[in-house]
Amino acid sequence: MHRLFWKIFLSFWVALVLFAAATMFSASQYLEHTRQQEEAAGPRERLQQRVVEAQHIADRAGIEGLKAWLRDIDRRELVPVLLLDRDGQDLLGRAVPTPVTERLAREATRPWHGPFRPRMRALIHLADGQEFRLVPDYQAVTLGRVIARPRVIALPLILAALASGLVCFLLARYLTAPLDRLRRATERYATGDLGTRVAPTLGTRRDEVAELARAFDHMAQRLQELMGSQRQLLSDVSHELRSPLARLQVALGLARQRTDGRAAAEFDRIERETERLNELIGQLLSLARLESGVTVAAREPVDLAELLTNVAGDADFEARATHRRVEIADVAPVTIQGDARLLQSALENIVRNAVRYTAEETAVTLSLEPESGKPDTWRITIHDHGPGVPEAMLPRLFEPFVRVGDARDRASGGYGLGLAIAQRAVRLHGGEVSAHNEPAGGFSIVIRLPATPGTR
Amino acid sequence: MSRILLADDDVELTEMLSQYLGGEGFAVESAHDGEAALAKARHGGFDLMVLDVMMPGKSGFDVLRELRASSLLPVLMLTARDEDVDSIVGLELGADDYLPKPCNPRVLVARIRAILRRAPSAENAVAGGSPAVLVLGDLEMHAGTRRVTCGGRPVAMTSTEYSVLEVLLREAGHVVSKADLSERALGRKLTRYDRSLDMHVSSLRRKLGPLSGGEERIKTVRGVGYQYTRP
Repeated sequence: MHRLFWKIFLSFWVALVLFAAATMFSASQYLEHTRQQEEAAGPRERLQQRVVEAQHIADRAGIEGLKAWLRDIDRRELVPVLLLDRDGQDLLGRAVPTPVTERLAREATRPWHGPFRPRMRALIHLADGQEFRLVPDYQAVTLGRVIARPRVIALPLILAALASGLVCFLLARYLTAPLDRLRRATERYATGDLGTRVAPTLGTRRDEVAELARAFDHMAQRLQELMGSQRQLLSDVSHELRSPLARLQVALGLARQRTDGRAAAEFDRIERETERLNELIGQLLSLARLESGVTVAAREPVDLAELLTNVAGDADFEARATHRRVEIADVAPVTIQGDARLLQSALENIVRNAVRYTAEETAVTLSLEPESGKPDTWRITIHDHGPGVPEAMLPRLFEPFVRVGDARDRASGGYGLGLAIAQRAVRLHGGEVSAHNEPAGGFSIVIRLPATPGTR
Repeated sequence: MSRILLADDDVELTEMLSQYLGGEGFAVESAHDGEAALAKARHGGFDLMVLDVMMPGKSGFDVLRELRASSLLPVLMLTARDEDVDSIVGLELGADDYLPKPCNPRVLVARIRAILRRAPSAENAVAGGSPAVLVLGDLEMHAGTRRVTCGGRPVAMTSTEYSVLEVLLREAGHVVSKADLSERALGRKLTRYDRSLDMHVSSLRRKLGPLSGGEERIKTVRGVGYQYTRP
């Protein structure tokens, strides 16, 4: 349990400890090194060297040279050097630590003796007679001073950063790689590849991510079974409902044969109703299928302009029988990825509906244009000159079996499924359908379709 | 009188359909499962089989696949209305045509007649048919016996494939529109999303192979129709 938790916890901890340890180690290492250097040469000898160096510079470059030399030491070395005049003031005007001042005061009142004698030689003489005392300022050695001189500890710091960076990078990748795999699997699943499973790709991992993967697989399995059984149910329903219909149709044919044209009108009526029932079953099933669909199954290039022209042509032919027309206004040449058959049925359903409601001697107009402000999106508008739909009904228009104004609908023989099917089909293509009452009169349905139905 | 084999597991339906088809002047025999249908079809004596896809045990597809290994008996498939794939699979396996079920029996009769018109009937064979032999390049079509040879090698094809090829060959070098081809070869109007022609043409391509020069024998003219390449 909580293996991932411990992994994260321990990794961060280790990384932090490593980094802190490396920093401290390098700092102490450096201090040690400095101290050893001092010891190796002996503080006195080093001081002596400095004095000789300072005197040399004083002789050659005067007071300005000394100032530059001091600044250089200050920048480079860990232990700064003070040059004090007779009043105990530093040549560079730096603050002189109290212990140094006190010691100098003591020395001034006492004669030099014993161990302090060499310090007498720490005097720099300038050509103009000025005298400076050279004092190493050990008090100034602080951690701040160490850090302020990056050159000193840059290398160990960089190494520590790289080491802990590597640890963190590996940790991050270890954590996110299976999540990425899980995301890709989810996307694949969403596009309809229901056989997708993740756990087998994670090898021997046994942490929260692996558990998540197993949970995903379990869900995927369950969904696959459910969808499988639903598909089976649909096909069973289809078969069971249609078998009697098939018999009914043949029986009707037999009845026609045997009655020799008598009751032909009634038989026509029965035939028409049978067809209608058949169509309704088909619509119900395709709606159920669309509802259960995750995304478009068939993706092929669909010539929208051609599709629109064909639908308009067929609908126009049908519409002319009732003194109505279907016209094409603007059609841009567009090819999108999708299921031609689904898109066609969506368009047909909407156009048929429009033809049903448009006033006599008027035309339903179809247009296909790029959506303004949205590249890769196309807008199909189906505009009719009908009475429109009450505003309150607009949002409900795409629900199954919704009727607007009962009497007229019954007369026109609508099933109330066409628009619902159209909407589902368009949605499976990543698009949207909306309905509007036109201010200038009439009613229009707008389909917005992306050029490629991406997984949303 | 044309003899028809009706293969469907719905006993009541086949009974009524037999009566109906009898009334239309066909002699009908029925089979209620795949095995029986296959046995009867192989036994011979039929001019056409109406084959339901959905049968328990051996499905219509299995029957068709096994039948086509040895026989070119014209087959009309009855497919489930919501399964577009069924029709494509059926045509790929060598069905002459398909009809979604449930169907209007009048339409069924019309389809049956259209297929029978294309098939070499017994009377035709006896009379020797028209002596015309259609020759183009390496392809020979014997109109009387409805035999096709390609480069001297006989090519077995269903009567529907023969009819499609015949129309294309007569118009070789010209584009034949799908609507035209449907009416002349299949004997019916082209309906939207009818894949029959595409499937028949693709199986013709498979059986005949490309021209000797490597050129496609039957070209698809996108959005228009098909064209047999004149060598």
